[in-house]
Amino acid sequence: MMRKLPIPIALLALAAVACGGNSGGNSGGEPAVGQTSASSGGGDAAAAAKPLDGVTIEVAAKWTGDEQANFEQVLKAFQDKTGATVTYASTGEDTGAFLGPRIQGNNPPDVAILPQPGLVQQYADENALKPLTPEVQAQIDQNYTPYWKELGSANGQVYGVLVKAAHKSLIWYRQQAFDDAGAQEAATWDDLVKNAQLLADSGTPPFALCGASGWTLTDLFENVYLSSAGPENYDKLSKHEIPWTDPTVTTALEKMAQIFGKKEFLLGGASGALQTDFPTCVTQVYGQKKAAMVIEADFVAGAAAQSGAKVGEDAKAMAFPKVGDTEPVVLGGDIAVALKDSKGAMALLEFLASKEGGEIWAKLPGYLSPNRNVSPDNYPNELTKQLAQTIISAGEAVRYDMSDLAPSAFGGTDGKGEWKDLQDFLRDPSDVKGAQKKLEADAAKAFKK
Amino acid sequence: MTTVAAEPRQQAAGIERGLAGRLLDRIGGGVVQVFLVLVAVFWLVPTLGLLVVSMRDDTANNSSGWWTFFTKPAQITFENYSNLLTSGFTSSFWNTILITVPATLLIIFIAAMAAYAFAWIEFPGRDTVFLLVIALLVVPIQIALIPIAKLYGTFGIFGSIVSVVLFHVAFGLPFAIFLLRNFFVGIPRELLEAARMDGAPEWRIFATVVFPLAKPAVASLGIFQFLWVWNDLLVALVFADTQNQPMTKALQSQMRQFGTNVDILAPGAFLSLIIPLVLFFAFQRYFVQGLLAGSVK
Amino acid sequence: MTERKGPRARLGPSPTLAVLFLLPALLLLGVWMVYPVIYSIFRSLYDATGERFVGLGNYGSIFTDSATLTTIRNNIIWVVVAPLVVTVLGLIFAVLTERIRWATAFKLVLFMPMAVSLLAAGVIFRLVYEQDPDKGVANAVLTTVHDTFSAGQGYPGARPRENDQSPAVAQQDGTVTVRQPARPGQAVLIPLVGLPPDSVKDAPPATAVAPADGVAADAIGGTVWLDVVRGGGGTVNQVDPQEKGLAGITVEAVSDGQVKATTETAADGTFHLTGLPAGSYTVRLPQSNFAAPFNGLTWLGPTLITPAIIGAYIWVWAGFAMVLIAAGLSAVPRDALEAARIDGATEWQVFRRITVPLLAPVLLVVFVTMVINVLKVFDLVFIIAPGSVQPQANVIALEMWRVSFGGGNNQGMGSALAIFLLVLVVPFMIFNIRRFRRDER
Repeated sequence: MMRKLPIPIALLALAAVACGGNSGGNSGGEPAVGQTSASSGGGDAAAAAKPLDGVTIEVAAKWTGDEQANFEQVLKAFQDKTGATVTYASTGEDTGAFLGPRIQGNNPPDVAILPQPGLVQQYADENALKPLTPEVQAQIDQNYTPYWKELGSANGQVYGVLVKAAHKSLIWYRQQAFDDAGAQEAATWDDLVKNAQLLADSGTPPFALCGASGWTLTDLFENVYLSSAGPENYDKLSKHEIPWTDPTVTTALEKMAQIFGKKEFLLGGASGALQTDFPTCVTQVYGQKKAAMVIEADFVAGAAAQSGAKVGEDAKAMAFPKVGDTEPVVLGGDIAVALKDSKGAMALLEFLASKEGGEIWAKLPGYLSPNRNVSPDNYPNELTKQLAQTIISAGEAVRYDMSDLAPSAFGGTDGKGEWKDLQDFLRDPSDVKGAQKKLEADAAKAFKK
Repeated sequence: MTTVAAEPRQQAAGIERGLAGRLLDRIGGGVVQVFLVLVAVFWLVPTLGLLVVSMRDDTANNSSGWWTFFTKPAQITFENYSNLLTSGFTSSFWNTILITVPATLLIIFIAAMAAYAFAWIEFPGRDTVFLLVIALLVVPIQIALIPIAKLYGTFGIFGSIVSVVLFHVAFGLPFAIFLLRNFFVGIPRELLEAARMDGAPEWRIFATVVFPLAKPAVASLGIFQFLWVWNDLLVALVFADTQNQPMTKALQSQMRQFGTNVDILAPGAFLSLIIPLVLFFAFQRYFVQGLLAGSVK
Repeated sequence: MTERKGPRARLGPSPTLAVLFLLPALLLLGVWMVYPVIYSIFRSLYDATGERFVGLGNYGSIFTDSATLTTIRNNIIWVVVAPLVVTVLGLIFAVLTERIRWATAFKLVLFMPMAVSLLAAGVIFRLVYEQDPDKGVANAVLTTVHDTFSAGQGYPGARPRENDQSPAVAQQDGTVTVRQPARPGQAVLIPLVGLPPDSVKDAPPATAVAPADGVAADAIGGTVWLDVVRGGGGTVNQVDPQEKGLAGITVEAVSDGQVKATTETAADGTFHLTGLPAGSYTVRLPQSNFAAPFNGLTWLGPTLITPAIIGAYIWVWAGFAMVLIAAGLSAVPRDALEAARIDGATEWQVFRRITVPLLAPVLLVVFVTMVINVLKVFDLVFIIAPGSVQPQANVIALEMWRVSFGGGNNQGMGSALAIFLLVLVVPFMIFNIRRFRRDER
């Protein structure tokens, strides 16, 4: 879908900043890369020596459409290699709702791909996960930084492989709308608000918010918070070590209110935004051309292309502007776990964690690998190449999506917790204190369990 | 309502009320006609919308309303349908059939046997047991979701087609027994007595005398159960895993991207309702009879 | 079976045979319905893990948790509204169809949604209720009706720039006023923004009115224009050559709270408020110039969501009620109606005094069936309500599923909700049993 793409200037800038900021992390990572590239060959050979003829494996993930088709190509490579039969099951938006009854009924899929690390903890506590075999762990140690490994762990046990990453500190815009209004990419939040005003004055609502998909609001909050409050506070808030009534949260919400509070800034106003789900908001920007910007991750590219926009020409992305002192880089990801102790499940996880599996996937659009041994050359365009670099060299200020780390009742359930509270805040952005109180109450409830 | 005047065929009354009254009848009749036409349109439009949306491509659906097809019929395409049929959706269609047909047949058979016993075999506590069945008529499905999920887990049949079928059969039984028993008691006693005098074994009386007589009741029960099971979402949502999921669940899992998934949802929803609609129009007489027998006894 | 061989002329088979006939049914009913009730009662007394006994704690939280209370409130709305509307509509349709020739066709049309799955009905109504009047038929109809009665040909969205330099400022009520009071003989500039330049592409360029250009001594002149240049640039608050005038805008001169002169802008955006005695005037553009277009109702928003779903429910069930009531109606003795009509009763009196009382048993059955059905409503809410408003639309049956399987995995609470639901239908269980007993007698 995405052909060869010109490099958007913004992304170059982003990559440059990210690389600069991460030089410390990089120097620590480099020897490890050297180490593993030698031994990863061994891993491949071991996998090849394991034919799984007649073994069937069921794998469940929330992907549909193109994302599903791409993943199925990866699965096909695994099938060709091992002889196993892999069936894919789409869980729909609510992965918990799909797995819940299956686990209760003692009939889970072999492998599930969880959209939030928070779920790893939850299912580990329910004893629903199977610890990874040493072979899979070896792959993880070879190919992943400790930070990523940690995300797949719970209670000191490694359960998951981070198979797909998302770069969430981006703002996508429509070049034409920017040209018409004379708007520019913004380096700071104030810049962004100024440009938004420019766009609004020129008659184009600057933002299409996907308020019906609560996670897009949490992503926005996380970027603002990470940038304004800094990584340390971010970590504390992630673990609920500081309350949501903290002044740093007030600041972040007040910043967001600068956008939420202006009717002409949001396509359809707050009520319209709250009825717009992802990726409808992308369609509104690139398909219907009704708004100028959409604040979401790298995977907007797929939806933008589907709406008929040329990514890199019509559809460009800029780094999330600085709200405070920190250049925010928020990442997300999907974690594959084994729910059955089957040979097939472990073999599939091993394949997904390997360089080989990652590189097959990397060649397809809409994918970013957290695997540091997947060579960036595999990506189909420059854009993804740059983003992948940022992810692999996860530095000091790079943080994982906060809501995904929280218990899913708080950070990952439609109509509950942070999703709902931020939606309510979007509805009434004047009540910052009230929103904080609600967030704190819900967080306290969810973290207590 | 007050403007609604007498029916034209009430000649006697009409004459007595004179010309003005008859004029009022005419106008009233016209108002009723117009009103009912509007109601009928109101009821048809949503389904028509689904049909048209299912036959327009994404760009058309995103840029204009489906009603523009009246002026620009050229936008109609079957691409959504051909895409859907080449995707995994067809297997969920077969699953729906694999669930619905056995469930319907089993319900009819098991309920008929039980209804026969309740109607024609004397045994102690018959009324009490039957009252229990009536009590179960209104038990909500929700009550069984958790315990049966656990039970299926223990026996290792969770997620299978059998597990879904059995659940439907069990929850369809109270209504089915109730309906058939009410029909069976209406069968003339002499017919049975005669057969029993002849020394026919009870199962043969059931199979050759009572069951054939009950054809209309069985037909309406069958239609009912078929539609009920075919259209179910909740049971499938909980008990069917992905290989065995019927269309309703397959479509539900596509709901997340509503705005952009209409090209799958609309044709899928429409395909899912074709067979029930055909059955409905073919057997609507039995359908109504079943309703009457079941509710207005 | 063997014990019954031979012609033993004793009428009626032995009771043991009944067991054979009943066994499959009783087994299924026992395992799938009776056992779950008992299991759920016990399970509801334990917490999420199933290990800790919490007594009636789960039931307590049903009535204290604000989210569950919303579901109960919604269920009450459902039970009060839906069965009544369905029954009344069914009655109206049933009575009226007696007067038309195409009654069968009409009944089929209304009855058809019964064959459609609630999931499909949900998808159908998601389409009907789409917010965008270009997509959702409900809002398309509403906006069309609205626009035929009030033609809004203004500039929705146009407003003054938000900063202190702007000569004009928007008031709370949407009126735009010029900051500095004007005197006759002067000219004012009223720059507006918030419209895409392309929307007035074909308008002539704006002309600035200067006092020297002949503003009469008793008039205030001025220009209303779109102060936006495509691609940015241009001097803010100055009429630039590329900028277009806004035609047809109503301008008022106000003094002491009274409108002293009114005019409309010309094609190039200029206006002259004439016939003004000397003094100080506030120039303003009334809100009607900027009235936002009516975009229909937010059906799927938090306030309308439950009524909207009830609307879909009525669409599904009205036909059912109509068919049952029509069947009851056909059993009503015609003689009684005739006699009343001959006695001079109006049609309304016949309907109220005779038809309805005679139909009462049927109406009651329809109503009760609907109440039971409404208590368990699940699919329509699940499908129609978008994720962000599902908490506002939630009902008990859906909450039960969400709590036990939808990520919450709290089966203690789920069981409590299921038992709660069961308790709610018990009155109807008793109603059914009593009705059956009466009929049998």
